[in-house]
Order: sequence, then structure tokens, then C-alpha cells
Amino acid sequence: MSTLQTKSSALPVKKSSTPLSSVGNKAAYGFLYVVLIILAIFQIFPIVWLFLFSLKNNQEVFNMSPLSFPADPKWENYVRVWTEGNISQYFLNSVVYTVSAVVLTVLLASMVTFAITRMNWKLNKLVLGLFMVGLMIPVHSTLIPLFNTFSKLNLIDNPLSIILSYTAFNLPITIMILLGFYQTLPKEVEEAAVMDGASVHRIFFRISLPMSMPVMATAGIINMIYNWNEFVFVNTFISSEKYKTLTVGIQNFIGQYTTDWGAIGATLMISILPILLAFLVMSNRIVEGIAAGSVKG
Amino acid sequence: MNKKAHTLLLVLMLAVFSILTGCSSSEETSGNTKKTIKFMHLWPAGSSKQQNKIVTDIIKQYETDHKDIKVEVEVLDNEQYKNKIKVLSSSNELPDVGFTWAAGYLEPFVKGELFAPLDDVLDGGLKESFVAGTTEAFAIKGKTYGLPLELNIAPIYYNKSIFAKYNLEVPETYEEFQTIVKTLAAKGVAPIALGNKDRWTGSLWYMYLADRIGGSEVLTKAIDRTGSFEDPALKTAAEEIQKLVDEKGFIKGFNGLSNDEGKSEFMNEKAAMYLMGSWELPNFTTNEEIAQEFKDNIGYFKFPVVEGGKGDINSWVGGPGVGMFVSENSKVKDDAKDFVKFFVEKWGEQSVTNAGVIPATKVDTAKVDLPKLYIDVLTDLNNASNLTLFADVQMNASVAETHLNLIQSLFGKEVTPDDYVKQHEEALSKE
Amino acid sequence: MNVNNVMSNKKIIAIYVLPALLLILALIYVPILLTGYYGLMKWDGIGKMDFIGLANYTSLIKDPKFWGSAYHSFLLALFSAISLIGYLLVSIILAGKIRGADLFRKIYLIPMLLASVAIAQLWLKIYHPTNGILNNLLTSMGVENTPEWLADPKIALYAIFIPIIWQYAGFYILIYYAALKNIPESLIEAAKIDGASAWQIAVKIKLPLIMNVIKITIVLAVVGSLKYFDLIYVMTDGGPNGSSEVMASYMYHQAFRGFDFGYGSAIGFFLLIICLVVTWVITKLTASKEDVNY
Repeated sequence: MSTLQTKSSALPVKKSSTPLSSVGNKAAYGFLYVVLIILAIFQIFPIVWLFLFSLKNNQEVFNMSPLSFPADPKWENYVRVWTEGNISQYFLNSVVYTVSAVVLTVLLASMVTFAITRMNWKLNKLVLGLFMVGLMIPVHSTLIPLFNTFSKLNLIDNPLSIILSYTAFNLPITIMILLGFYQTLPKEVEEAAVMDGASVHRIFFRISLPMSMPVMATAGIINMIYNWNEFVFVNTFISSEKYKTLTVGIQNFIGQYTTDWGAIGATLMISILPILLAFLVMSNRIVEGIAAGSVKG
Repeated sequence: MNKKAHTLLLVLMLAVFSILTGCSSSEETSGNTKKTIKFMHLWPAGSSKQQNKIVTDIIKQYETDHKDIKVEVEVLDNEQYKNKIKVLSSSNELPDVGFTWAAGYLEPFVKGELFAPLDDVLDGGLKESFVAGTTEAFAIKGKTYGLPLELNIAPIYYNKSIFAKYNLEVPETYEEFQTIVKTLAAKGVAPIALGNKDRWTGSLWYMYLADRIGGSEVLTKAIDRTGSFEDPALKTAAEEIQKLVDEKGFIKGFNGLSNDEGKSEFMNEKAAMYLMGSWELPNFTTNEEIAQEFKDNIGYFKFPVVEGGKGDINSWVGGPGVGMFVSENSKVKDDAKDFVKFFVEKWGEQSVTNAGVIPATKVDTAKVDLPKLYIDVLTDLNNASNLTLFADVQMNASVAETHLNLIQSLFGKEVTPDDYVKQHEEALSKE
Repeated sequence: MNVNNVMSNKKIIAIYVLPALLLILALIYVPILLTGYYGLMKWDGIGKMDFIGLANYTSLIKDPKFWGSAYHSFLLALFSAISLIGYLLVSIILAGKIRGADLFRKIYLIPMLLASVAIAQLWLKIYHPTNGILNNLLTSMGVENTPEWLADPKIALYAIFIPIIWQYAGFYILIYYAALKNIPESLIEAAKIDGASAWQIAVKIKLPLIMNVIKITIVLAVVGSLKYFDLIYVMTDGGPNGSSEVMASYMYHQAFRGFDFGYGSAIGFFLLIICLVVTWVITKLTASKEDVNY
């Protein structure tokens, strides 16, 4: 396994051994780039739009073209969002809930996936099935039963109810994502480790986890985005201001008869920044991870 | 390594267990002598600044007057508020004080004995301070379960300069109104702003037509089952709606637009008229975000009378909006009732002047300084011959869903007036 | 040391599986069972429950509105599954060694970070009947009767599929990309030396190697679509006239708007059963005789 060179993905094509110098190939690549760039513009457009949106008042949001820059940009939307309510507290809560749930979910899911794909036991298919069922229930069916459960456990208005719900509801999808990768990871390394007398825990923590770094990063990113933007559970299980999250900031601007769209845009802009940053950092791990992992293995 | 990992896993498992079995640290707040009233409302500081401020002020005042009481507030937006109330009531964990809507919405909560009767609060003068008919909307079988905070009527707002440009005058009859619609449509100006994705918006138009054609009682009677929805007037009203749609009376794509989006066509002077509750008045008077020029340009008129119809021009669609309830199972029920009483009184003094919300308690127009549009609406309210509560509020929840869906289909011409009436009758008679 | 013995330690298996399993049982299975139970009741979610047996389920089977919404959900599942081909293609290109792949990949995933509220607002602006981006474009191209995208019952459903499918592009591209990056470089180099074209490498080597991941994404896309709710709720609320209602929004409307929690729960439980059956069918259909290994 010579995987060290995966890092070179940004290197020019010409280095590869296939001949690419023919005119036809160049044209094909040119076309490919045009398509890729057009797609990229489509994908970057929402952020630009959201930024412009956040600088408008209600009149402008509805009247102006979505891509026009307002004549008099309403920076005060940001000021309002930042000063209204307890945004730094919400922010902190969002980070705490998201991070703890992501770590817990990815770790628990890795353990389960490891046990299902790597260890020998008869019930593994059944247990996998049990987890998969968790994908299939609509959130609104669970609200009343979950509220009852938490209320019996005395966990209403307690951040644990949020972290546990996020973990439980993301475990199935995380296990599914990990599963496809564990199934394709070569078993030879582990077998060799067993021969050398390594324990199961050592294999899990020292071999499987590092080798699955790219997929853990992938699953982590997905979990993070879900948790960060979630609000139904927070609204239902939390009632104290001090435990609410950034998504509450959005509701703050939805009124009984009118909604302050510009301020909502500003809240969305503010709340997307940290997650964008985390995403950029974590998405590098997808490429780096495998190289690093296989060296240790 | 092996041992370390093992212990780590054990600790993790223990943590999960302990979390699940609930030995979490539930903190006791200091000062056990204080009683806490939990209060949920739907006026967030961001979107409803003035309302929120009044609420906060009232609570502060109440807490200063009652040193032994602490009012704990939770604010959610409209939609989330309704969902949460639903979940809370299923587990019997309603807040001590909260907001409810009238009639049909209220019914299941009363049946389930979750709301406390508030007649003892109303006795002793408070009832007299309410506008007649408002507390009645919150009464079931002779007991009142909610004290209304808002009172609204729905006029047709219009853009004076668009009217002037095409030499149009405020219509007195529905025929004149039709001429206006046709003239504007022919000139390529959208006559009426409507966001019918929300569906109750379209219901207002239907309700008025039903009222003007069949009189103020025909719809109410059909709903309370002393009458029938197959009354010819109710069918004619449905036909008139589709006629308006055919005349291109409403903005393009109205069935896919929310009320906010529909309204914006009026606010941006692309549509000439807009039928909506008087809660919109701040947008045409005091809202500083909106250009003065535009605000000066807005007037309103009463829904015109239909010739040969039984309706009266002073009959309005409207009524009380949200009201306050006290939870029947509250541990501090008496204090909660006392708080509600205090709240309603204080709210009545400040809401219209400070937040532009017309309270359900009587307002003395001579004593308050208000924009002319407000004075006009308050005067009209005083002279109202009848107030018909919004149809979807009159009905119970499941019939209301049917009604709203049928309204959207009617406007979208997906259902014939015949079927529209029949399906209403079916849904209503099932209950 | 025997590999099988070490890897069959029941105690260790329990330690690895039980924490997650218990969490799932408590927070997902209890609600599932309760949902099934509420489905047997006449209950408005507020007052007393009355046991009515299978009445909710029998009326559900006869409810044309439910089957309409189920049909819409299945359509969405179908489109989502088909769209996976496109995502796979983009991922293969990005995972290949082309200049700037890293940047493209990051850009392509950005929309995935947006909350549903933002996505909904964006697409409402795109679809707005008079000053929306789409209709402005059509008008400038000379189209006179521009469609009323979300107000026309004939197109609303399809119009709303586009943002839903687009919303998940980043999710699947990310998974495929990571899977493709997981393929040992040596295999691809070897094929290149043998003179295989990029296309041949993609089809003959890469695809089979990530087949397991592809199968799983099919299940995720289908199940995710069958219980989809978010954008439908914000953008059309199931309308106009139920033309974009899906199973989860129908469940929400019945339980939370119509105060019929018994019926809503029956829909939720039935949805679960549909998902189970569909998943079972998918696994049967995609099952291969032997697992790919290198």
C-alpha cells in the first residue's frame, strides 16, 4: 500500500504516465473545467446571496433583485443581531452541544461499526438492522414520546437531553457511512497485529481508528452540520434562555404577523462562519488522514 | 494501553448509563421561598420589540409589587410556540401562564381540563373593561378560559396614488369594486395583493363575501351547526371568489406566496389593494423603516356591500387575537390568575400607544394620542354592527385544516363551488 | 494467537456495541413503540386517549390523501436515487488528479452548510412568480407566460424537488469523495501502466471498489427522501391543494395542525414500515454474490 502520494491531488495532470498532450484531450479538459467552474459558481452563489440578503431591510429583500447590492447596506442588521438577546451565550451552547455530540457520535459509531464488521458474532446483522431502523422515523413522530421520556428522566430543560438526542438520532446515519468504508478497509493489517499479540482495543484505537480518519472526518462534518442547524429538539426540550442555541436567534426575528428578514439573514451569516471554518479544517483531514493512517499501520 | 482503553470505555459506558438513569445534576435555584410563575409568549424581542418591552416592563413591575414572586419567561415564535404548547399539553406540563387563541383552538384544551376558568378574575369590574364580545370568544359552556389581548378588524387597505392615477374612487358597492379590479387588471396593475400559501389570508376574502351576500350569521351558523354550509349564499360567495380569480384580481402566483411575500407586493406599490387585519397599521403609520411618502399614500375602506345581499357595511371580519390562559394544573394557580389580571390591565393601558396593538380592553380615543388611521379604525370598531371571528379560529382544528385547504383549492380553481360547499358540510357534520 | 478467537470475545463485543445500542433503544425505540401505540388510540394529544384498535390504520389505508403524499415521497426517493449518478460523476472527477480539485471540492460542499431556512429563502427568491430570478431570466428570453412555479399544482412538486436534491449534493459528494480517496493508489497506478484509460479505471476499478458505499448511499437517499420534511414545510407547506404533500408533512399536518395525534402517529408508524420494506427490497436487489476485496 503506497498511499503517501494521495496528498498530491492538487498537482498538475501532466505528471501522470498517461499521454495527455493530444489536442483532443486538451479540449476535453477545457470543457471539463468550464463545467466545473459553472458548477462552482452555482454552489458559491448561495453564500453571496445570503450576504447580500443580510444587508437588506424587508422592503429591499422583497423588492430588489436577489443579487443586487443594496444602495444603503444595512450593517445595523448585524449590530442588532449581536446586541439583541444573549447571542454569545447561544453561541457557546451551540459549540458545546455540537462538539460533544459529534465526538460522542463518531466514537460510539466507530465502535459499533468495528464490532459489526471486524468481530465475529452471530447477531451482528440483527444489531446493524436495529441501528438502521433509527433512520426511518420522522422527527415529528418522536417529539411527544421523547418529551415524555426526558420528562420521566428529569432531563427536561437540561443540555444532556439535547446532546443525547443528537447522538442517538445521528448514530444510525453515522454507522451507515462508516460501514461502507470499514467493509473495504483491508483486514491484513489487523490480522498481522493479532498475530503480533495486539489486543482488540489496541487494534481499534491504533489501527482501525487512524485508518478510518477520512471517513470519520466525513461523518464528523455531516454530524456537525446537522447538529449546528438543528432547532426542533432545542425548542421542545429546552426552555431556559441560558441553554438555548444560535438557531433561537433566528426565531427572535420571526414575529406574530411580520418577520424581520434582514436580521435573519445576518444571524444566518454569523452562524455559518464558525461552521465554515471547521468544515475547511476538517475536510483537509479527508485527504491527509489516509496517508497518515497507513504510515502508522 | 490495553488497560487505559478499557477504563476509558468503561467510563464512557458509565457516563451513558448515568445520563440515561437520570442522576444528572439538577440544580436547585437559590431562594426557595420565591414562587415561580412560568410564562410563555410569542413576542420575541427581535421582531416584536415594543410588545416584548411592554411585557418585560409589566413583569418587572409585578415582581416589584410582589417580592415573593418570580416570573420566568420563555419566548418562541408563532409556529414553534404552537408546536411546543402541543407537546407540553400531551405531557401535562403547560406553563402556568401562556397564550392561546379563541374558540375552536381553545376547545380541546378546555375539554382536556388543562385551562383554568377565569371567571373569578373577570368578576369585580374587569369584565366591563373589555370590548363586548371579546371575552365571549374565549368562553365555552358559559365559562371563560382566556383573556384576550388583541382586537382586530380587517379592512381593505389601498394605495391612494394608484387609485388616483387611474381615476378610481373608493368603492361603496361590490359592483364598483369589480369595476376597479377590472380597470386595474386591464392596465396591467395587480389589483389585490394576496399570499394564499398561508390560506387564512384567502379565507378573509371568502368570509367577507359570505357576509355581504348572506348576512352576518350565515357562516357562523353553518359552523356552529345551527345552519348548513349548503346555504345558497355560501355557494354564491365561492362563485364570486372564482370570478375574482378569473378577472385576474389577485397577484400572479398568489397560491404559492406566503402572506409576507404577498404583502410585499402591496408595500412595494405593485399591487393596489390588500385585505388584512388592523395589526398591519404600524406599517402604514409609525414604522420608521417604511418611507413616509408610502405611508401617507395608504388609506383603507370597508368591504363594499353586495347589491341585493343581506350584509351590512359595518359588519367586520376580525375579533380578538391571542388571549392569556392559566394552567388548570398550575401549582401557583392563584398567583398566576392574579398576574394575568394585572397583565391585562397594564397591557390595555400601553399596548396601542406603545406597540400599536389594539387591545381587547376599551380604549378611550379622546385620551390617547394616535395617528389618524388608528383613530379611524377604533371609531369603526366602536360602530361595528357585527364582528365575525376568523373562520379557521371558529372551527375546531381538524375542520379548520379542511376549510383552509378548500380555500386554497377554491382560489386555485381546483374545486368547484359545489364541491367546495359539499366538502365543508361533510367535514362539519362529522364532528 | 488465533485471529478468530481474539475477534470473538463476547465481553469486548458487548463493550463496543452496548453503549450505542442502549442509547438508541431508549431514545429511538421507545418513541417508535409509543408512536405505534398512540396509533391505536383516538387522541388529540391533549385529553384522554381512547383505544380504537386498528381503526386509524384501516382509515389510513383508505385515505387517498395519504396515498397521494406517499406517491410524492416515492417520486422524491426515485429522483434522489437517480441524482446519485451525477454526484458520483462529480466525485470521480474531483478525486482524480486534476488541477484545483481541492478547491472545487470545498466550493461544491458550501451549500451543505446552510440551514434549511436559508435554502428555503433562496429558492423562494428564485421561484418568485414576478420578480424571481428564474422568471426574470425567462422573461428576458422572451417567454410571455412564465410559470407560477410553486403555485401551480402541476409543477410545484417537481419545482420543490430541485432544491431538495441540490441540498444534499454536498453530502453525497463528500461521502463518495472520501470513499474514492480511500482506494489504494497502487491499484490505479498499476492499471495505468497496463494502459487503461481514465474512463476504464473509473468503471472497472474505482466503482467496484466503492460499491459498498454506493449501496449504502442508495439506502440513505431513499429512506431520507421517504421521510423528508424540511423544505416542503417551509416552501409550499404541502400545497397548493396538497400537490406537494409528502408523508412526513401529512403526518405533521394531521398531528400538529389538525390535533389528531392518534392518526398522525399511525402515519408515522406506517412510514416506518414502508421504509423497512423498501430498505429490505433495496438490499435484496443490490446484494452481490461476493463482496469485493483486494
